[in-house]
Amino acid sequence: MLQQTAATLLLIGFPNAGKSTFFNLLTGGNRKVSNYSGVTVDMGRADIKSDSDGGIKLKLVDLPGIYNLVPASLDEGVTVKALLNLEGKDGAQKVLMLLDWQRIEASMSLALAVKDIVGSDNIAIVINKDDSAEIDPARRSELEKKLGCRVLPLSALNASPKTVEAFIRGLDLSSQVEPVKKLQITKEALEFLPAGDHSARLAVIDDTKSITDLINWYHQKARDVLGSLSRPNDEKSRLTQKIDRIVLNPWLGGIIFAAIFYFIFDAIYSWAGPAMDLAEGVVVGMGDFVGNYLPEGHFKSLIVDGIFGGVGGVVVFLPQIMALFFLLSLLEQSGYVARAAVVTDRIMGVFGLNGKAFLPYMSGFACAIPGIMATRTIPNPRERYATLMTLPLITCSARLPVYILLIGTFVPATTVLGIFNAQTLSFFFLYFLGSIAALVIAKILRLSYFKGETGNFIIDLPLYQRPSVKTAFIQSWKKGKTFLTKAGTIILGLSILIWLLSTFPSANPELLEGKTPEQQAGISLEQSMLGTMGRTIEPVIKPIGMDWKIGVGMLVAFGARELFVSAMGTIYSLGDVDEESTPLRDKLMAETWSDTGAPVFTLATAWAILIFFVFSLQCTSTLAILRRETGGWKIPMIMFTYMGLLAYGGAYIAYNLLS
Amino acid sequence: MTLNDIKVGDTVCLDDFSHNQSVYFKLISLGLLPGDQVIVMGRAPFGGPISIKHGSETFFALRRSEALKVQVKTSTKAL
Ligand SMILES: Nc1nc2c(ncn2[C@@H]2O[C@H](COP(=O)(O)OP(=O)(O)OP(=O)(O)O)[C@@H](O)[C@H]2O)c(=O)[nH]1
Ligand SMILES: [Mg+2]
Repeated sequence: MLQQTAATLLLIGFPNAGKSTFFNLLTGGNRKVSNYSGVTVDMGRADIKSDSDGGIKLKLVDLPGIYNLVPASLDEGVTVKALLNLEGKDGAQKVLMLLDWQRIEASMSLALAVKDIVGSDNIAIVINKDDSAEIDPARRSELEKKLGCRVLPLSALNASPKTVEAFIRGLDLSSQVEPVKKLQITKEALEFLPAGDHSARLAVIDDTKSITDLINWYHQKARDVLGSLSRPNDEKSRLTQKIDRIVLNPWLGGIIFAAIFYFIFDAIYSWAGPAMDLAEGVVVGMGDFVGNYLPEGHFKSLIVDGIFGGVGGVVVFLPQIMALFFLLSLLEQSGYVARAAVVTDRIMGVFGLNGKAFLPYMSGFACAIPGIMATRTIPNPRERYATLMTLPLITCSARLPVYILLIGTFVPATTVLGIFNAQTLSFFFLYFLGSIAALVIAKILRLSYFKGETGNFIIDLPLYQRPSVKTAFIQSWKKGKTFLTKAGTIILGLSILIWLLSTFPSANPELLEGKTPEQQAGISLEQSMLGTMGRTIEPVIKPIGMDWKIGVGMLVAFGARELFVSAMGTIYSLGDVDEESTPLRDKLMAETWSDTGAPVFTLATAWAILIFFVFSLQCTSTLAILRRETGGWKIPMIMFTYMGLLAYGGAYIAYNLLS
Repeated sequence: MTLNDIKVGDTVCLDDFSHNQSVYFKLISLGLLPGDQVIVMGRAPFGGPISIKHGSETFFALRRSEALKVQVKTSTKAL
């Protein structure tokens, strides 16, 4: 017989039980953790970090949470598929049931149901969130006796990975998990499982009553098993009750919701401002410093204009990106977002969606990709598509640099209505515009192509938890690193390309004769490859108030939105002949039309660009994920087109209204 | 009487509410069984969802249209 070299363990449990926290603890992974149900929607696999040599390799699989074994949405289907090994790939050697001590009855019932399907030899139980070690050794062995499998109580927040590893190594991992019984599911549930003949593992039943009776029975049995075992102390539950009395209060609820989101966006805009000024100072200073040591010529221009102008222009937005992720992480950890779904359910209902769609939309504020993935948790496929097809309209973090650059430069910082800053208000307006457009389009979809009733809205509200500043900081630091990596790779590469295209071919020396240095720089740019390309598209973008340089920026932004800022940075640095480097903001203000000498960036042009960015789908990664999640190019292409039309139309209206 | 008729702060007992299978399916999955006690914690404005507490462990919210499908009885024993 072959020597066993590795064993795989599946993590299965109730939503929000802490599976991903546990997974990260053991593998050093970076799966998303948040205090609401339905955070994980796909499978994640990694090796358990171990410094004990000699043992076999342990692989852990993190899965979406499930309430029972009958999947009611795509994410739950992922878990059931893995548990039953429906795709027949390399299976697992053990199912680790992760129970939630704060919801011990309900999560125990799931463990009992899984135990019946795979047999008690194939499972082991971890009871998580036992933060103050309420389950003592006596209770633990009582449970082990009753359940017929090993039990480990712990708190994934402060457990030692070594203890957990020792527990896992103490299990018998030699045989493959095989279902010992067919799983009974409804016909509707099949929709959420991969197609194919699974009749060996599944029994499809017409009578839903026998399925609900079975679930009911497991809950009764869980109560029997737990019997006299004491329950977690209910301090947290009482606190939750108190907070909810305020947060879900009919009158205060909406105000608190609006205040929280206003606070977040205001914080990104105003607090991160000084940090950004500092970053800008550093980038400009470094550019000058390096520039002083380089001889005049193409190489200096590449470094100063191409790299410092392009990459530096984007990097200065790091503070805002990090502030956004920091605050979103605090909010998600607290448990408030599930309440936000309750508060917004009524409004969502008007647009043919339900409060559950709030959660994917909310992820969309960070980035459309996790948001699109999160629509898997919406059970009704029509609602899911309506949400998914409008999700990229939500203002994601990639739009931040463009918004902040243009608002900070062209909207005056005056006070309106006594307390609001015009810049903050404009910023808020852009977020609002994107969100409301998403809802209106969703409504149109729900009235036409995706017509039908709205599904149930029954949402699980987690206990409140004090958000950890450390976790939020780590989270935002990771996103910051991703952003910098992007700046150092894609944006750097593109900045160099743009520099090449806008420097070559060199202008005919005759054209430059007798011209001022400024005019010479302008002519060189116009004669370059990029200039020629820009001239070609100018007729299309002139009606929305843009010159060819902005047009080029818009075009490259279809790769990724931040590229707009870096492209502008490079192009304008080349046109700028001053010895001293200046921040991109000043360069924008100094830019004039070559024929009339009027400033290119008026308030109207700035708003036309902003509105264009609100609506248009300028992100290749989003298109790729959309293709994967919808199984083809049709939906992404429809979205690309409708968002493009909205963008152009919106920019046209904004430009003409303001000029 | 349905869950939709209950005032904020009142405790009631769930009756047999299995006639609407989709709501029943979702609620028993959360661990709410006929005969259990629940407290109505709040009602969102403008006919929004109702929030409920079950035992000391489960908090959830549901739409009023769904609450209409859940029969309840006045609670006989105190929590
Ligand atoms: N008090 C306490 N909270 C914990 C513990 N482990 C995890 N949490 C918190 O529980 C919440 C849910 O954690 P996740 O790891 O995202 O839960 P999950 O099971 O992966 O959730 P889904 O992916 O939605 O199924 C987070 O707010 C965690 O911080 C613990 O041991 N004690
Ligand atoms: Mg998870």
